[in-house]
Amino acid sequence: MKIDIFKNKFFLYGVFCFLLFLFPLIVNDPFYLNKSSTYIVFGLLAVSLSISWGYTGILNLGNAVFFGLGSYCMAMSLKLKTNAIHTGAGGLPDFMVWNNVVELPWFWEPFYSLSFGIFAGIAIPVILAIFLGYFIFGGRASGVYVAIITLASMIVVYLLIMDQQRYTGGFNGITDLSTLKIGNFEFDAYGPSAYYLIVSVMTFIFFLTLLVTKSRAGLIFQAIRDDENRVRFLGYNVGVYKTASLCISAGIAGVAGMLYTIVMEFASPTFMSVPLSLSIVIWCAVGGRQSIFGSFIGALIITSGSGFLSESETFLHTWTLIMGLIFILSVLFLPKGLAGIFDRKK
Amino acid sequence: MDFFISQLISSLSITSILLMIALGLAIIYGTTGVINMAHGEFVMIGAYTSWFFQTQFGMGLIESIIPIFIITATMGFIIERMIIRHLYNRLLDTILATWGIGVILQQLIRLSVGSELKYLKIPPYMAESMSLFGQQVSIYRVFIFLFAIAIFILAWFLIYKTKFGMKLRAVTQNKDMASCFGINSGMVYSFTFAFGTGLAALAGAFVAPLKSISPEMGTNYIIDAFMVVVLGGVESLIGTAASSFIIGGTSNFIASFSNDTLAKALVLVIIIFILRIKPEGLFAKKIRS
Repeated sequence: MKIDIFKNKFFLYGVFCFLLFLFPLIVNDPFYLNKSSTYIVFGLLAVSLSISWGYTGILNLGNAVFFGLGSYCMAMSLKLKTNAIHTGAGGLPDFMVWNNVVELPWFWEPFYSLSFGIFAGIAIPVILAIFLGYFIFGGRASGVYVAIITLASMIVVYLLIMDQQRYTGGFNGITDLSTLKIGNFEFDAYGPSAYYLIVSVMTFIFFLTLLVTKSRAGLIFQAIRDDENRVRFLGYNVGVYKTASLCISAGIAGVAGMLYTIVMEFASPTFMSVPLSLSIVIWCAVGGRQSIFGSFIGALIITSGSGFLSESETFLHTWTLIMGLIFILSVLFLPKGLAGIFDRKK
Repeated sequence: MDFFISQLISSLSITSILLMIALGLAIIYGTTGVINMAHGEFVMIGAYTSWFFQTQFGMGLIESIIPIFIITATMGFIIERMIIRHLYNRLLDTILATWGIGVILQQLIRLSVGSELKYLKIPPYMAESMSLFGQQVSIYRVFIFLFAIAIFILAWFLIYKTKFGMKLRAVTQNKDMASCFGINSGMVYSFTFAFGTGLAALAGAFVAPLKSISPEMGTNYIIDAFMVVVLGGVESLIGTAASSFIIGGTSNFIASFSNDTLAKALVLVIIIFILRIKPEGLFAKKIRS
């Protein structure tokens, strides 16, 4: 059997990742390198939604909550690593001192260990996904309810974080983080090291998602998307598969959140707000939700476009309007996104 | 008993607002199958329209009820005609489209009016409080409650006692069959959407004097309204009303010894549990399909 390497996704993904690795050789400006890192992180976030929405048909409007939780876990770990300058006894984070907290709360304690922080950044989103999945899919709620419950859950977590200012930093989030250090190696947010870290993780996630979508489970995911009842009649436990898909998606979003904290050097409640969640949906819708690569590119194009345009005064305010319009138009006329155009030509 | 009555009375206004918002949402969803993500933005637009009438023309709340309803219902009508109409065969995509509409509306308000908070006065003759079962309640809150009940009865009358309502119910049951009998189902959908958005806007106009007005205010209300729809199911108006009272009352009760945010979180968790047991909602009628 002859394998056409240009249609082989493993090959194409490999080439793409390799090109991104070469990128810092061309662009050596710390600012643009940092910007590019954030765009790639957003791309991963789009990939995460593409798994649950594009492949399994779970319209998850609250995907940003997983991202935000991952980001907070990383931020909590990095916060405890900062040099306590203005802090009270025991190196309390600064915002706790301002809020008259005298003792580090129990759920902050484990975050002294960076490995626990990284573990929690994946585990906590996945646990939330299992909880939501068990109740939503176990009850066989239909698409609309899934959308509503996921969105509501995200907003509630957002409100809780804003509300519990004493423990979470509230509106300001967690700022003044130390840089990520593994062993003696320091990942500088504005240097190539953080960029390489992100591209490596991206490469890993790309091939992981490729494996997942090519696997038997991946085929069942797509079958569920196309006709849930038929899959159920064939004897599969649809609820479990949907929950699994949501978990994979949540895990990836959690990783993206952690990476985002590393490059942005703070965590903020806006990381799990409605605007970000809407943006993720828009990236996937425009790029093509049923294509991992399409979603990634969609995110890359839109975020870099907005980064570029919002530097000019006129677009700063109208950008949201333009995004909304692009979104509606792509829903109306390009239900498969940009990736759909290329598919049709084949 | 005293505690119970004071709880009931203090939850009246939040419940009535919730009822008006959720009623519009449920009527639209029940008829067309569209969950209108822009519903909260229509609440916001209702509040801003009311503010506009009051500051520009000095109109009171009561005089501006009908203009607000007409303006926003027309907006709803146009949006349905231009965008949502094309998506009835892809129902999940209507969520996306209406979400996009919501963002655009919010940003338009932010650009034209500004994002700072606006405040409205309670009409002076309603600002005082009255005694009700030994509790002091502001007349305005009682008025909101009575108005919400009136709206509810009006909606019930419209759906079950008028010719339009008969058409609406026919289209809800079977759109194609209804069309075969000469009902213009597209028109029914448009008017339903317009009616629902109008209701949301009225709720916004009424809530405006109680809270502040901001472009983001819709988000706060829409979540509770979604919860009402999830809990109540969409087949019966009574279900919507009952679950508005349950959710409004429960939130108020929990909030009385913690705070609003924790109340919202707990109510959501409770609803997620209920969804596991009764995914079709608490008040769903068994219908033949």
